[in-house]
Amino acid sequence: MATETAVDVVMPQMGVSVSEGTITRWLKQEGEQIEADEPLLEISTDKVDTEVPSPASGTLTQILVQEGETVAVGTKLGQIGGAAGAPAPEPAAAPEASAEEAAPEPVAAAEEAPAPPAPAPAAPAPAPVASGNGKAFVSPVVARIASEHGVDPSQVPGTGQGGRVTKKDILAFVEGGGAAAAPAAPAAPAPAAPAPAAPAPAAPVAAPVAPGETLPGESLEPITAMRRGIAEHMRRSLDTSAHVTSAIEVDFSRIVATREKLKKEYQSAYGVNPTYLAFIAAATVETLRDYPYVNAEMRGDSIVTRNFVNLGIAVELAEGKGLIVPVIRNAEGLNLLGLARGIADIAAKARNKQLVPDDVQGGTFTITNPGGYGTFHGTPVISQPQSAILGTYALVKRPWVITDESGNDAIAIKPMMNITLTYDHRLVDGAYAGRFLRDLRERLEGWDGDGE
Amino acid sequence: MAIAREAEPVGSFSEVREAGLDREDLLGVYRNMLITRGVEERGHILYRQGKIPGSFYTGRGNEAAAVGVATAMGPDDVGTPLHRDMGVHITRGVEPWRIFANYMGRVDGPARGRDGNVHMADEQLGMIAMVSHLPAMLPVAVGCALAFRIREEPHVAVGWFGEGASARGDAHESMTLAGTRRLPMVFVCDNNQFAYSTPTQYEYATEHVADRAQAYGFEGVVVDGTDVLAVYREAKRAIEKARSGGGPTLIECLTLRMEGHAVHDDAFYVPKQMFEKWAESDPIERFRTWLRDNAQLTDEEEDDIAASVKKLLLTAMERAEESPQPDPSTLLEGVYATPEDLDTPHHK
Amino acid sequence: MAELTYLQAISDGLRTEMRRDKRVFLIGEDVGVYGGAFKVSLGFQEEFGPWRVIDAPLAETAIVGGATGAAIMGLRPVAEMQFADFISCAWDHLVTIAAKQRWRAGTPVPIVVRLPSGGGFSGGPFHSQNPESSFAHIPGLKCVCPATPEDAKGLLISAIEDPNPVLYFEHKHLYRRIKAEVPEERYTTPIGKARIHQEGSDISVITWGAMVYTAEEAAQQLDADGVSVEIVDLRTVMPWDKAAVLESARKTSKVLVLHEDTRTGGFGAEIAATISEEAFEDLDAPVKRIAAPDTPVPFSPVLEKAFIPQVDDVVAGLRELAAY
Repeated sequence: MATETAVDVVMPQMGVSVSEGTITRWLKQEGEQIEADEPLLEISTDKVDTEVPSPASGTLTQILVQEGETVAVGTKLGQIGGAAGAPAPEPAAAPEASAEEAAPEPVAAAEEAPAPPAPAPAAPAPAPVASGNGKAFVSPVVARIASEHGVDPSQVPGTGQGGRVTKKDILAFVEGGGAAAAPAAPAAPAPAAPAPAAPAPAAPVAAPVAPGETLPGESLEPITAMRRGIAEHMRRSLDTSAHVTSAIEVDFSRIVATREKLKKEYQSAYGVNPTYLAFIAAATVETLRDYPYVNAEMRGDSIVTRNFVNLGIAVELAEGKGLIVPVIRNAEGLNLLGLARGIADIAAKARNKQLVPDDVQGGTFTITNPGGYGTFHGTPVISQPQSAILGTYALVKRPWVITDESGNDAIAIKPMMNITLTYDHRLVDGAYAGRFLRDLRERLEGWDGDGE
Repeated sequence: MAIAREAEPVGSFSEVREAGLDREDLLGVYRNMLITRGVEERGHILYRQGKIPGSFYTGRGNEAAAVGVATAMGPDDVGTPLHRDMGVHITRGVEPWRIFANYMGRVDGPARGRDGNVHMADEQLGMIAMVSHLPAMLPVAVGCALAFRIREEPHVAVGWFGEGASARGDAHESMTLAGTRRLPMVFVCDNNQFAYSTPTQYEYATEHVADRAQAYGFEGVVVDGTDVLAVYREAKRAIEKARSGGGPTLIECLTLRMEGHAVHDDAFYVPKQMFEKWAESDPIERFRTWLRDNAQLTDEEEDDIAASVKKLLLTAMERAEESPQPDPSTLLEGVYATPEDLDTPHHK
Repeated sequence: MAELTYLQAISDGLRTEMRRDKRVFLIGEDVGVYGGAFKVSLGFQEEFGPWRVIDAPLAETAIVGGATGAAIMGLRPVAEMQFADFISCAWDHLVTIAAKQRWRAGTPVPIVVRLPSGGGFSGGPFHSQNPESSFAHIPGLKCVCPATPEDAKGLLISAIEDPNPVLYFEHKHLYRRIKAEVPEERYTTPIGKARIHQEGSDISVITWGAMVYTAEEAAQQLDADGVSVEIVDLRTVMPWDKAAVLESARKTSKVLVLHEDTRTGGFGAEIAATISEEAFEDLDAPVKRIAAPDTPVPFSPVLEKAFIPQVDDVVAGLRELAAY
């Protein structure tokens, strides 16, 4: 088998457990001719000493491993035919070459070593929690269900060992619409402004569709920056405050009458409307004086109370464009007229996009009117970092029970308005809120002429 | 004290004819022995050239025993040859290129790269692939004989084992089952006098392995394993006896293992004189001489046969080199058999 | 339909196949004249003759190895080990040749090895073992463990049909204790498919063989506690019905693996590891195993009772899981 193409001479494996061999003698020199099967070199292994026959006929063009060298089975020892080797890098065996190039060596070694396959990690528990039983321990299936449904396991009552949440517990929780045992946390936020009331997000959908995908009948629209901002604010507010809402029904008879009286005068003399909102604002600001926590803020470890009220009024921007809450500074110093003016002023600025950042910052209490569309109740979201928000609703004629001086009851038709106070239960308690609303009602129901 | 019968050597050509072989057959036997040795010599070289992985075993010195027995088998007889019995595979018709491919772990070897050495067999040719454990194939061969007996078919099973393997329980159990049931079985002991480095006196305490046959209820015979015709004659007798319902026979073929246990073993423990003595009795050389003396083998015939064998082996090597390496992605295939696998001549 | 004991069902299956297919034959110690140590083949030699019901010498390697040879030649041998424990005498042949011949040499080995296994009657260390796990570990072998008479017949027929070596573990303690309706006609039960022995929603018990009945009794007690237990009868240990086991595990999220074989390296370990690997996020409790302790099988009834998982042990394990 004379050949011009190169044929490798390799170290054979002389026995199953043999991993290396030593060249004891080359029987030919580089450049010499040799026939196939003719003994070419002698080797020694720990099993046997033997001759290695040439794998081909031709010229021994390269000797790569010298006598006395020990190399691994399969190592190229030399070459028959082909091009004569460049002055062979002294023993082609790795040891010396790499000794000269200390730096690249690790790289070469890394290339040669089979890249350790990235071990496919077992799917980690979605919510790694401290070990041990007890409420802190979340089992893999509970973690998975929790993450699929956006539920916080710590909110779920646990019946398992040590009070841990079991699969049954969390499934029951999810099926129950997430009605939590957690105290007073309403599940459904509404926008804090006369924006169209968003429907309360239902208990999360069982099998979430992947982002970007739609089911038949669905269509996608991208989220605007404003929407994103609102979403963020709402979420953050609900996550921060312990929202609770109390409501009270107010008889607006006096206000209605007073307003009738004042309308013409205000228009002609001052160019403003004495809106119901203005009356409410006036009564509210007065009441806030007696209930500072409703006009307060949690700052770190402290509660901040004030001797001023920067009253925010929620304003809906042009249909669907969102809402904004400009602020009337130092409302505590304003009377009905001043508040009516203030409200008209910021409303106009808002509509005409003339609000500046100062206009919307620094509020300490907010009034919102979701009732513009006839709704009689709601649970607005507190505007952080405030501690409460007042919601006003549609003024509706209702049959109402009145008692005369003799103690006789009769039904009369009254203009009624439901008013809500949504407060942060971290610093405002239910009784406190209740008393605030009672006082507010008294002021509104007992409105006397111009002032109170 | 020996119990087994000692076989007579075969003298004349007419004796051979009586035993069932004509001149054509004899030249075929000679050729098969040459191919057997040629395959193993070439394989040995390939191994030392690093082209064959693992270990390499030869049956150098056992060519007559292997070819002799195989020549006496009928086409539907089955056998479980071992690593000294390359001559059985050659005689039964396995092509040398596939043997080289098997040595090199290529896809076209009968074992498709999944087993090496001579752990291979072509089932179509009536052989079953051996394992390393010895004599583990004997119970299997006896099982084949059992099947023939159950189905009352005139076929015979031949099982090979070495004198070392005769020490193990499988041999005893196989002979017990074969003997008590008078199964159509021939036990062939390749006694090459060394089991790796262990000489015969540590493998059996009788004079011959064949002496044990009597203990199992059948005949044992010792034959000169370097005399292909003597082996053939005894094998033929035993096979035909089994075929006609006469039960098993144990034939012990005496040779010397002329190379190490595997080629990585230089057999330093074999006294040099033994090698020298048995080299004089080289089976191929013996038969060549006999053919010249008794069958008028001519120079021309000799040269023709040698040339054709050389050519066969050369093309076999080339063809084997082209056989692909096995594909690792197929590793998991075939752990379990499917019903389609039962489509063999024996399952019809 | 006929009501048969587990043992009668095995006989029925074997007889059905031997009548239907001449290639099927039985070989083992005392199977012929004596009808088998447990009388599974009573009357068989009279019907099928001495060359189809073969009294073998006391030589397990020759029995199983001979079966392999005969199978390679086209017959369908059913080799019987008198006790499963004696399979160790043929272990070499089974794992060296029978298991590997298909993969490495392309030669199928369609044999069945019947193995009367299991304890519960003071059989002692060598007449009571459940050796399925070591064979399940060897690629190329199949291991079936029927629990019901119906499955016993169907699985034996399937085993004979299967072109692979199938180890058929027949639980001795079920032979005459369990009786049920068995279809009279020939039918096969799929190898590799589990069966839901009873449905439940709170805990899955994965088990096979005689333990199916232990699990059943234990589940009744849990039922009274208001805990619903599902029992998966694997039926085949190799290849095992991973899909069915995982489905049950995902459904209940609490799993008990129960087997009569000893604990360490018992096949339950493979099942438990697989569940942890592939159903981790569906688990509400660690996968629990109940098995015999790591000792040989004791002889004295008192000791044997402490060895073989009892109904009370399973009840305790189930209650623990339920409360987790």
